[in-house]
Amino acid sequence: MNTAQTTTQLITILMAIIPGYDDDFWTADTELFGAIAEFDSMAIVTLIGEIEDQFDIELDDDDISAENFATLSSLTELVNERA
Amino acid sequence: MSAMINYHAEFYQGTKGQLFRLTRTPRKINAHIIYIAPLFEQANQTRHISTRSATNAYSLGVQSIVFDHFGTGDSAGELIDATLMLWQQDIVKQIRAIKASSLKPIFLSVVLSAALLLNDEIVSLIDGVLFAQPEFNGKSFTRQLKRMAVAGNLVKSTEIMSDGNRADGSIVDIAGYQFTQQLYNELAKQNINKLSEFNLVCTWFEWLTPGNELTPSRVKKKQDFQLTFPQTKFVMIDDDKYWQSTELQLAQHFLQQDQQEISRLVKKNKATGQ
Repeated sequence: MNTAQTTTQLITILMAIIPGYDDDFWTADTELFGAIAEFDSMAIVTLIGEIEDQFDIELDDDDISAENFATLSSLTELVNERA
Repeated sequence: MSAMINYHAEFYQGTKGQLFRLTRTPRKINAHIIYIAPLFEQANQTRHISTRSATNAYSLGVQSIVFDHFGTGDSAGELIDATLMLWQQDIVKQIRAIKASSLKPIFLSVVLSAALLLNDEIVSLIDGVLFAQPEFNGKSFTRQLKRMAVAGNLVKSTEIMSDGNRADGSIVDIAGYQFTQQLYNELAKQNINKLSEFNLVCTWFEWLTPGNELTPSRVKKKQDFQLTFPQTKFVMIDDDKYWQSTELQLAQHFLQQDQQEISRLVKKNKATGQ
């Protein structure tokens, strides 16, 4: 899966978890951690579960960092590294 | 419609303390259904849909019980005093109480982590189960719980804590839920493979992914599940996963399918003479 496809799929997941934003809000540059009020620990863990399920990968606890969840772009990078 | 429902809130004497229950009892009872609440935050995330499902069941002549586990919600006790066995005994007690006064079939509604509470005794007492995206893998569930603590530390709202002050082991604190390490370990050990094979009429509601296909991990879970519950109908749901959303979701497709499946279970049990 290429970067654009990964980002698109991540956006689909995020839109389901945090539905209160317009479609065009979500881009590769969208900031997540610390920037979206709803992006709390529950949302992060839900997102991780969906990522593991849909991309068939496993993330380590060490992957749960502010850097990896900073933006959609950094998250895309993490997913592609683990895939 | 809700004003006409025969609806009753009560405290039911459970194994160790009183359990808060909501029962909806139609005039003519065709069957009974007990809603097993999933664990921790999932209970809050799913309650509104269980309530709607119970209302739908009422319209089909199915008496429903929605209750809080010991140490959770409005039930007596503290979560820190809860064990897996206690929660299971409370379920068994309620099923046996129904069976003592009714010959009608008894179903369970089992959503997400509620599946971790099933054991052979519970399943042997009932006539059918409606599973909604069930989680049978205790290891996977507790891994997510642990991550909640890690993610919580990230946002500085909670921290994982251990202390050895209790005779039965240390205490785990995840996202404000304090419970024993023993309960954590018990949940981690739960697995579908621990159940015997049952010829119950079951429904499994599975939420579609964006690609409309089952992911490899869900395929594996489905295969394992079919070994234990071979008579299962799989129903795909085309809603967002209502329990994951930060906004309230109505889950209309699920509720519609859920009502149809409750009706199917009632008819199927009637046909087999129960």
